[in-house]
Amino acid sequence: MKQLIQFFKRFQIFLLFAAFQFLALSSYFSSLSFPRSQFLTTANGIAGSMWKVQYNFMKFVRLEETNDQLVQANKTLMEKLPESYVKLSRNTVSIDDTVFRQHYSYMPATVINSTFGKANNFLTLNIGKKVGIERGMGVFNERGIVGIVHSVSRHFAIVKSVLSDNINIDVMIENQADDIDNGEAFGLLKWETRDPRVVNINGISNDLSIDSNAAVVTRGGGGIFPRGLPVGRIYDVQSIEGKPLWDVQVQLGVDFRSLQKVYVIKNLLKEEQENLEAQAEEND
Amino acid sequence: MTSLPVHILRFVLFILIQVFILNQIEIGWGILPMIYPLMIFLVPIETNIVGLFGLSLVMGLIIDMLSNTFGLHTSSLLLFAYLRPWIFQRFAPREDYEANKEANYFTMGRSWFIYTYGSLIALHHFWFFLFEVADLGSIFYVLQKTLLTVPLSFLLAVGIQIIFVKKPKER
Repeated sequence: MKQLIQFFKRFQIFLLFAAFQFLALSSYFSSLSFPRSQFLTTANGIAGSMWKVQYNFMKFVRLEETNDQLVQANKTLMEKLPESYVKLSRNTVSIDDTVFRQHYSYMPATVINSTFGKANNFLTLNIGKKVGIERGMGVFNERGIVGIVHSVSRHFAIVKSVLSDNINIDVMIENQADDIDNGEAFGLLKWETRDPRVVNINGISNDLSIDSNAAVVTRGGGGIFPRGLPVGRIYDVQSIEGKPLWDVQVQLGVDFRSLQKVYVIKNLLKEEQENLEAQAEEND
Repeated sequence: MTSLPVHILRFVLFILIQVFILNQIEIGWGILPMIYPLMIFLVPIETNIVGLFGLSLVMGLIIDMLSNTFGLHTSSLLLFAYLRPWIFQRFAPREDYEANKEANYFTMGRSWFIYTYGSLIALHHFWFFLFEVADLGSIFYVLQKTLLTVPLSFLLAVGIQIIFVKKPKER
């Protein structure tokens, strides 16, 4: 009898352990794929503020590097201004810009916390719902794409970086101009190498020839990233045994080990695109 | 006996060291040294296990909140707390020990400490990395991470105790 009571006592403790364990693990796995609450993330106000304090301590260390990046970004932007183009023909008429409608707008943000060595990596940004950040927006900097917004609170946002499982971004390999036979090769971006500088592209058929060092850019599907944002360069192409596919490795443009200033992409026509796509599905 | 303020200070310091220093230095090869399990280890030997669960729950949730791990640290810490009494008994020395004494490097003696903390931290790390990677296909990667991290975490724990824990007077 005494042993039986002893047994139940021990079993009770195990039950308690199992219950807590279930709570913790279910929170972990559900948040990985679909974030329900912000309580356990750095988007939570207290945690976010603590990271902000840490960032303010550390930002001076990287001030010079940040400045260089900003100068580079300015240079590329200035090159795009009308003033830096020479007029080739005197007869061209200036076209009023109402022909174009702005499709994407960009919001600058600062990374206040980031990891790159874990199995799934996240960044915390210092802007949130208050300035219009929403779940699912793309994040990039002048050197390449960074990730997709995973959850937001009022003042902070968590970004799932390219360096995580199931990131699946639509990308394409830009083709060299003289090679007319091949179109651009489309594929999905994955991170399987566990190296913070190298990612993979899945689903590229091995009858397409791929130039080494070709540029990889976004394809613009899903309305998260505009078409043609840089991702990186082809680093290595190998055949997969038993499958008609290439195993493509891409050297990332972004260095996740020193990431400070990023831009969040707001797709102004996202609703329109989503409505149209939903309609197409209904009509099927 | 260590007083309550010391325990609280230790609690806060371990969390700060873990989140703002250890999680930030990316060594490579998947190494992630962890110091916070030492908190659960250092409470008196015969502490009630329900109390241990409560402590690991609070500590784990705070660390998870600060490092975007959504409950992974909590889960591993709960395992640590659950196995602690059992591992202590399993490796207990033959002579009697004082049950309400704090469990540390000096009160326990070197070999008992190495066996208990070593095995507990190995299980904790294995559990953590198993769920972090969450892919049975890369079990070797999990083992690599565990085997490389455990010695570092262990040395860190011993070092911290040698520097900060008050040594008992030699008799």
